[in-house]
This record gives sequence, C-alpha cells and structure tokens, in this order.
Amino acid sequence: MFRIIKKSLRKGIVTGTYPESGMPAPEISDPLKKKMKLFKRSLTIREVDTGSCNGCEMEMNALINSIYDAERFGIQIAASPRHADALVVTGPVTVNMQSALKNVYRMTPDPKVVVALGDCAMNCGMFKGCYAVTGPVHKHIPVDLSIPGCPPRPSEILESLRTLLGQK
Amino acid sequence: MAEFREALEEFSRRFKNLILSREMVTGIPVYHIGKESLPEIALYLIHHPNLAGTLSMEWAADLRPMKESYRIYTLFSLMKKGFWMILTLDISGKERLYPSITPRIHGAKWYEREIRDMFGLIADGHPDLRRLVRHEHWPKGTHPLKKDFTWNTTLEQKDGTYLYRHIEGEGVFEVPVGPIHAGIIEPGHFRFSVAGEPIMQLEIRLFWKHRGIEKLFENLHLLNGVPLAEKVSGDTTYGHSLCYCQAVESLLALDVPLRAQYLRSLFLEMERLHNHLGDIGAICNDAAYALALAHCGRMKEQVMQLNDRLAGHRFLRGVNRIGGVTLDLEEAQLEGIVSVMSEIEKDFRELSNILFVNASLTDRLETTGLLKERTARDHGAVGVVARASNIDRDVRRDHPFAAYGKLNIKIPVFQYGDVRARVRVRIEETFESLSIIQRICQELPGGSVTVDSNKEASPGEWSLSAVEGWRGEILYFVMAGENGMIHRCKVRDPSFVNWPALQYAVLGNIVPDFPVINKSFNLSYSGNDL
Repeated sequence: MFRIIKKSLRKGIVTGTYPESGMPAPEISDPLKKKMKLFKRSLTIREVDTGSCNGCEMEMNALINSIYDAERFGIQIAASPRHADALVVTGPVTVNMQSALKNVYRMTPDPKVVVALGDCAMNCGMFKGCYAVTGPVHKHIPVDLSIPGCPPRPSEILESLRTLLGQK
Repeated sequence: MAEFREALEEFSRRFKNLILSREMVTGIPVYHIGKESLPEIALYLIHHPNLAGTLSMEWAADLRPMKESYRIYTLFSLMKKGFWMILTLDISGKERLYPSITPRIHGAKWYEREIRDMFGLIADGHPDLRRLVRHEHWPKGTHPLKKDFTWNTTLEQKDGTYLYRHIEGEGVFEVPVGPIHAGIIEPGHFRFSVAGEPIMQLEIRLFWKHRGIEKLFENLHLLNGVPLAEKVSGDTTYGHSLCYCQAVESLLALDVPLRAQYLRSLFLEMERLHNHLGDIGAICNDAAYALALAHCGRMKEQVMQLNDRLAGHRFLRGVNRIGGVTLDLEEAQLEGIVSVMSEIEKDFRELSNILFVNASLTDRLETTGLLKERTARDHGAVGVVARASNIDRDVRRDHPFAAYGKLNIKIPVFQYGDVRARVRVRIEETFESLSIIQRICQELPGGSVTVDSNKEASPGEWSLSAVEGWRGEILYFVMAGENGMIHRCKVRDPSFVNWPALQYAVLGNIVPDFPVINKSFNLSYSGNDL
C-alpha cells in the first residue's frame, strides 16, 4: 500500500506533458458549429474501425491515458453506438465492413457527428481502388470532420476534437 | 546435431523415389515432390523424434506467366526451431485439388482455407472447407490472388449465410459478440456457446478487415514495398517493414552495414518495449487493476515520444529502407536514449514489484486462460503465447537477424500457459529489451547506415525471411517477377497462428474472463486479415 502511494506521490502529475500539436486547426463550418452547440461541452465518442492498420486505434487509446487524458475536456469513449454523440471512423471501408459501418451509423441516435480519422478514412490512402476496399468513409455515411495523418498524433486528435467542441 | 544429420540423410534415402528434385535457396533445403506424397512426407517430418518438425507456414503462388501452374509451399521448422525445410508441389492443367494435411496436422487448417479462398485450390480431405477470407456476400469464383483477377475489380454483393458451429442441448445458448466491440479495438466476431457461465465453445470469425494487401504488393516494385509492409499491422510497423526489407535484401544479395544492423535491432526493441508496456497495463486493467494501466500507459507514452523525437514518427514509419535505415543517430541522441531507458527501468521495476505482491491480481490471472503445451504445439503457436506455454522458440536466437547474432540475448520461457505466465514473459522481455537498447547504444559500431544495390532479381527467384516482432515470428516470402516487380508476397503475422489457439485457451473459463484472456494474447486483427 505504502509503495503504491509513494510511487504515485513521487511521480506527481504527468497530464499535459506532451509536445504541442503543430497541425493547423481544422475549419468548422457554420452548420456544424450549430449542431455542436447541442452537445454543450461534452462529447461521447464511439470508435469504429473499418479496416485501419490499428495505428489510429493505438493513438485513440493513447488519448485516454494519463498524459493526454481527454476526459478533462469532456471527451469520453462509449462502449456502444447507442450511447454515442460522435462516431470516429478509421480505415478505408473494406468490403467486409461496409454493412457493419452502415448499421452502426443507423444505431447511433440523432443528432450525431461523424469524424473520419486518419488518411485511410479520408481517401483510402494506399488501398485506393483495391478490390477489397469500398471507401472512403464519406462514400457511405456523411462525414462532418476529417483529421489527417498516418496516424495523427494524439495531440493532433485532441486539438481537432477541442476545436470541434468550440474550446479553441 | 549428429542425430539430426543422420535423420536428414535417412529422410532423403527413405523418400528418394518421391522427391522429384532438390535445391538450396538461401540456405534452406527445398524438396520438390509429387502432390500425392505431401501428407506422408509431412507427417514423417513431424513425427520423427530427431527431426521434430512443426508446420510454420503453408502458402501458394500462381506462377503464371512464368509457368502454367500453381505451386504450394509448406515450410517446416525442424528440431523444434533451428532449421527450415520447404516442400513444394505443382498443380497444373485443369487440376484444382491437392491432398490436405489438416486431418493429421492441425496447424494447417487456416492456411488451407486461405489458399482455397485466394487461389481456388482445394485441399482434398480438409474437414472444414467453409470460406475464411471471403465473407458470405462475395460472389462465387472470386479468387483475388489468381493472376487473371485484376487488383481493382469491383466486387458484386451477393446474398449468403455463414454457418457457425452449433452446440445443442438443454441450457446451451449462444452469445454473439462483434464485429464491432466495446472499447477502442479492431473488428472481429466471437461466438460463444455457453451453458451457464463457462464457455463450451468459442468460434472466432475474422477477416472483416481484409484489405487485399498481398494483391497490392504485386503492383509494386521490389524496392517500393516498404510503406505497404508498414501498414500490415500498425503496432508492428517496424517488425513488418524489417522483415520485408530482409527478404528483398537477400533477393538482391545486399550486405547491410553493421551499424544499420545494430540500429535495426535497437528500433525493433523500442517497438517491443512500447507494446509490452501497453499490454502489461491493459491486462492488469482488464482484471480491474487500473493502477498498472495508469503507470504503464505513462511509460509507453515516454517511449512513443522518444520514437517521435528520434525518427519523426511515433510508430517508426519511414525508418527502414532496402539496404539499411534512413536515419543515423548522433552521440547526443544515444545518450538521450540511455537516460530515458534507465529511467523507465527503475520506474518499471518498482511497478513490477507492486504487481507481484498483489494477491487479488494474481488470483485473477493465475490458471485463467490456460493454453496447454500440447495444444500450443499442435497449432504451431509462436511468440509470447508460445513462450508462456513452455515452447522455447525465438527467431532472434534460432535464425539470428539484424545484430542479434552478436547480442547474446536472454529468452524467458514459462511453463504454465495461463494469463499470468504471459504477463511474466512480457515483464521479463521488457527488462531484456531495456538492457538490449542500452547495450546497443554503448556498443554501436561506426560506418554508414545504408547500401545501394545494382543487382536485379530474375523472375521466379524468391526468398524467405523471419523477424521476431513483439508478438512473435513474422514471416515474409517474396518472389520476384518481371522488371523487378513483386510476383508474390506472402505475409504471415504471428496472429494468424495464434488466433485459432485462443479458441482453445478460453474453454472452461467464464465469459467475463474472456477480455483478459484475449488481451493476454493481444493479437492483431489487421495483420491477420491482411
């Protein structure tokens, strides 16, 4: 017990110890701004992987560690699309995942926001045109915000999401 | 060793009439056999006490236009690890059948289903020929890796159903999970058959993320394949690109400079380090011990930020190239690495001491998700999973690559095969990685970090390479085509062999323990689905 407390005390607070994102903030359109007002200051995210290399997943996971701690900005991860305000979609949409993606979109209650995370979700990246890929994401469901990068750094994801929330 | 040589000679004598030809390719003996004799020879290799083979990989290649036939390759590791042997057989004309080895060699079951989906070649006698990669909505007769299938074909959507295995009886019900799971994780479908809480059967259905990577390789020049290899599985970016580079370098007869080889080992260990740290934290978190996750997540982030500072990419993308590495480290950077590593070492030692005295954590991890040694061997399990089930296999020692031949590394092996054993393998390997990185920083030899090639590979030449990624043995088979293009690139992520083994590790456990068992395997979906 004492060892645990001692370790935690000695480490202190590490939240925020990361280099600032150098990426320009994304443009948020007026209709999107209006839609975002409904969510006030919190956003519950459901992450959907439709064929990424799992790099984007690792960076999304990093968002909830003690260094980035996205929850301090009201950003949470939901276990089910039914609990989500926003879908974060990664990867080019594969042939085998396209119907699952459409189902998830249907299951998410309105109003909802869709974020395409990473180059593959935005334009299929290296997989463009391949027989197994039907993407990008905006071909299947309407996308509100795109975050470029392969994969984008957690600091970049966090900045974009905060801009979306109107915190920047 | 003497017994092994004798056994090999005995093998050649015994099958003299069945072996059509024999050659050595990059030090690997390759026996070309008639297709009927495959099961007999394969079984002999596995059962002979002094050969003690395990099936490492089975794959096919469409040899058109060089030759009007398909070729099936079966790779065996002999003496439990150290030696490779390949059996090849040709299928030509209208023939589509070859004899299945699955009825006697369990580890072949997914390989043969994959070959059927990708090439339309059917393993005669395979007990379960359901589709694997092609989901039910794929039209009949689409076999993407055949040469007459163009890479940008648009697939039609057909109706169809996938038949799961059912268990019937009083009180038995099914729990379907996925393809989209709770949490930030890749897609896959798990179907549990349970009676009460214990799992009676688990069927894992994957390949939701099939992106056609092996077909896309065939559009690329040998020298341009690295960025695609980096995207096979993001968490193993470095392992995959290294394995691809090694395969091509051996095709082009390139001698990578010593300094580049040391740097490759260094970056590979960095990747192992950040993944193991993340896994240890996540496994403990799945047993509701969030403290470990908080500390491990922090240390993992330290390594990722260090990667970013050194290479400009948190996953080390763009570091490898054919013939070496793209960046060199200066003295100050090496000192920086050593200081971060010694800080993490102290930090992690404190944490592992805390973990080991925690009785409630130990209680959750011990005897959970038991993978018996026999089952692991039958599946040809590799990597962390195998070493936790008393199988002493590690490519870094068995087929030394990069600088591992000179580094004299320790390989932890545990016997029990439960979740705790897998955590302990990871903890030991974390310490070993920390020590290897510091040793490399001190011993790094001078010289250049890259070499260029002027050789062209002639069509049909191939090579095989193996890398011990953090998950386990990654294999690449690269065959050259016309004008230096890739004719065939077979990628084998360790996940592909460990996924079926997971189905056996969960039996008898309760459904709520599945997440922790799954996490202790921590397999890649994208590396498996390709």
